[in-house]
Amino acid sequence: MDIDKDWASLNSLVHKAIKTLERKNVTHAEAFFTNTRTTEVTIRNSEILTQNKIDESGVGFRVIVAKNKVGFACTNTLSEKAILDAGEKALAIAKVSSESPNFALPEASKTPKVNGLFDSRIAEITVEKAIDIAKRAIDSAENFDKRVIAKDGRVLFNSGYRGIINTLGVDFEEPETKATIYLGGIGEQNGEVTCSCYDFKFSRIEDLEPENIGENVGKMVIEMFKPQTLKTFQGTVIFGSEAVSYQLTDVLVDGLNGESAFSGRSAWARKLGQTVVSENLTITDNATLEKGFASRSFDDEGCSSQHTTLIRKGKLESFLHNATSANALKTKNTANASRFPGGLDTAHMIVGNGYRAKPEIYPSNLVIHHGDKMKEELVSEITKGVLIESMAGFAQKGSGIISAQLSRAFYIQNGEIRYPIKGGMVSGVGFDWFKQVSEVGKDVKQFPNAIVPSLLVNEVKVVGA
Amino acid sequence: MSKKDLAQLRGQKRVITTCTVKKGIVEDFSNISLSGVSARVFVDGKSWGFSSTSKFDFKSVKQTLENAVKLGKTSAKFKEQKIMLEPVKAVTADVSALAKKPLHNFSAEDIIQIPLEASKGARETGSQVVDAKATYISIEDDKYFLSSEGTRIHQNITRVLLLVDAIAKGDSLICPASENLGHAGGLEIFDKTSPYSFGKKIAEKAIRLLNAKAPPSGKFRVVIHPTLCATLLHEAIGHPLEADLAMSGGGFGNHIGETVSSKLVTIYDDGNVRGGLGYFPYDDEGVKCKHTVLIENGVLKSFMHDRTSAALANVQPTGNAHAWDYGVEPLIRQTNIGIEAGEFSLEEMIEDVKEGLFLEGTFGGQADTNADFTFGFQNAKWIRHGKLTEELRGANVAGNAIEVFKTIDAVGKEVILRPGACGKYQWAIQGRMVPAIRCEIMVGGTGG
Repeated sequence: MDIDKDWASLNSLVHKAIKTLERKNVTHAEAFFTNTRTTEVTIRNSEILTQNKIDESGVGFRVIVAKNKVGFACTNTLSEKAILDAGEKALAIAKVSSESPNFALPEASKTPKVNGLFDSRIAEITVEKAIDIAKRAIDSAENFDKRVIAKDGRVLFNSGYRGIINTLGVDFEEPETKATIYLGGIGEQNGEVTCSCYDFKFSRIEDLEPENIGENVGKMVIEMFKPQTLKTFQGTVIFGSEAVSYQLTDVLVDGLNGESAFSGRSAWARKLGQTVVSENLTITDNATLEKGFASRSFDDEGCSSQHTTLIRKGKLESFLHNATSANALKTKNTANASRFPGGLDTAHMIVGNGYRAKPEIYPSNLVIHHGDKMKEELVSEITKGVLIESMAGFAQKGSGIISAQLSRAFYIQNGEIRYPIKGGMVSGVGFDWFKQVSEVGKDVKQFPNAIVPSLLVNEVKVVGA
Repeated sequence: MSKKDLAQLRGQKRVITTCTVKKGIVEDFSNISLSGVSARVFVDGKSWGFSSTSKFDFKSVKQTLENAVKLGKTSAKFKEQKIMLEPVKAVTADVSALAKKPLHNFSAEDIIQIPLEASKGARETGSQVVDAKATYISIEDDKYFLSSEGTRIHQNITRVLLLVDAIAKGDSLICPASENLGHAGGLEIFDKTSPYSFGKKIAEKAIRLLNAKAPPSGKFRVVIHPTLCATLLHEAIGHPLEADLAMSGGGFGNHIGETVSSKLVTIYDDGNVRGGLGYFPYDDEGVKCKHTVLIENGVLKSFMHDRTSAALANVQPTGNAHAWDYGVEPLIRQTNIGIEAGEFSLEEMIEDVKEGLFLEGTFGGQADTNADFTFGFQNAKWIRHGKLTEELRGANVAGNAIEVFKTIDAVGKEVILRPGACGKYQWAIQGRMVPAIRCEIMVGGTGG
């Protein structure tokens, strides 16, 4: 296949560029390179809107010169000249950069065997097949109930290679495939329009189950008719896995960042060994999980993947580290260098992901270990409370403050869901909520960088509309 | 392809330079060189196909064009609705944004000084500043657009941004503050605002907030500073005015000609605002960008369109089809969205409020197509008996923008140009022309 031939050529040019840099009095040099083919179908207003095929390859160099001065340059032009030039540019930038006292790169080590990262069915996917999957999702949602409109969605297949070389002997490559579907629906009835409801699946294999996704969206939409406003309320809130995976996980990612721990910016800095969240919570980072969406055998600077316990029964055991933050704190690298971090940092969004970016610290699959009760069982035990399946808003970095608008939320009374809630916000400090978790659900769902269940949290404030 | 089909090719070279300084140390200095070609074709009167490649040779471009045709044809089979694209007159144009201080006159050492100075300004403000991050970004774009209708456009535009975050830490409190500068042009942007003073201003705010209380929760009469109004306008009103979102059951539905907002409100989108981050003489379908009045004195006049949505709505395209880069398809995006100036000074707007809040700064936000929104403000002040009183920290506001905009009873007379960014399916940087406004809004603070 073309993609294999292109990869072999890119790989050999990148090796040549690293050898050229080695001869130039550099302390270290590193190249991260990718080759990705994307097939994408977008859905809008019950129809297929567009279908795209995008090929992208590129290489990013980090060059380190005396006194740990670092430069970065990348290119997506795959000629020998352009690749050697990018290495030269990184070197020129390193010379005018300032000293990074703790900078480190990982040394070569044996990588674990991680299964389920590649599915040839995705590598060979046709656009006809992608369109068929999208149509099945739309039909399933709209056939569920005639009031449902499949408003927007996307079916996405990625396949390609990821490679890393450095002058400390790291030289790894890995083929990988990813499949993603999401579908958003709204309901319309006598002029009433519901909020948007989404379902999604993130997978490494071609098993997107569009009928399930469509049906789930249909079910969710129908539940949202005739919402009622709620009076301001303080009490028990169940956050569904979707809400946990976004705003609440962002709080964890912020608190667990090793670089923030070193700089003192993390709320959990200098709290290793202390109880920082509810004893009901055990949280790990598992890059070696079979078929995990963010699994990999090495991180994006070439450290061998591992399964790290971050919080055990409420007690902080480790931060997330890359080579530099581990070096700064004189601790073990947890292989969390990522060139595909989440979040909406403007600089990062402008530059883009992968070979275009230097690695940051980010979880692979952040796993909140599940409990024994399904969400329905948690609901049945509540006298008065709120179930928040999804909410819109962000967690503030550093402080962990979340103040979000409720989107798919329900009022619970005497163990039953009574009605969907109209308007309203939830506000509080995410770090406090994690201390107030009294039950952990059994329902777990895979998100891009998290595998999380529902959480039952006491004493949460919900502001009425 | 047949004669009735339409093909568009976009070629682009983009060089991004970023330099991030944290705690006085250059943490990142990067040069990102990107280039590629995309092909977009409209086939069988129904369907678009899109394909892109980072390879620039003839064989790859030809293959990409063939891919796009095949994709379009595959999907056309499933489509019933014919779309009559309005023919576009062939345009030949070569345009560039004027930079008084072009980047090529400056060395890497000069560039490093910009975030270093901003970070120094922040750190020298006080020992409570535990972290200060300054990021310089320049984006140099060289774009070509060619179409089978005969259009040939070359656009050369440079954009420069400076982003500063400061975090102050007290005994038990962590307070962030941030602010962005940005324009289409060169380094002259720092003649008016020096990076040092810019960094200092942000750090001063973070320190001040350490002594501020948490804001209250509930519905309040508020005066919204332009920094926050920019986010409200973009997220909550701008998005529902994008034709693709409007057509998918957005909050404004198809109420053209109806009163949808306070009579004091006139909203437009204008790609020709010089210096605006959303300055684009032509869009990525080769359509000239216009000053499009969207809402006039409260009455809905137009949506923002690309050629497809314009054809479906039987109107002219408005030049709002923009792609983040060569690699992705154009979508309907805002360029520089704005609210026309009103008649009130900020003091006059505050004077009439018995009890309310003055909200300032933004932490970004998001909105649903039904115009429900949530976004964060950085700091606030109580307004009591027409006067600004004690300072409060940030939180989020939420509501339905259409409802909120109906409650506007004053629009400020001073309009400022703000930098902005948006993540609708793909990234974009945009401008916003905004005054202060007074309205009612729900605040989700953690205080009493």
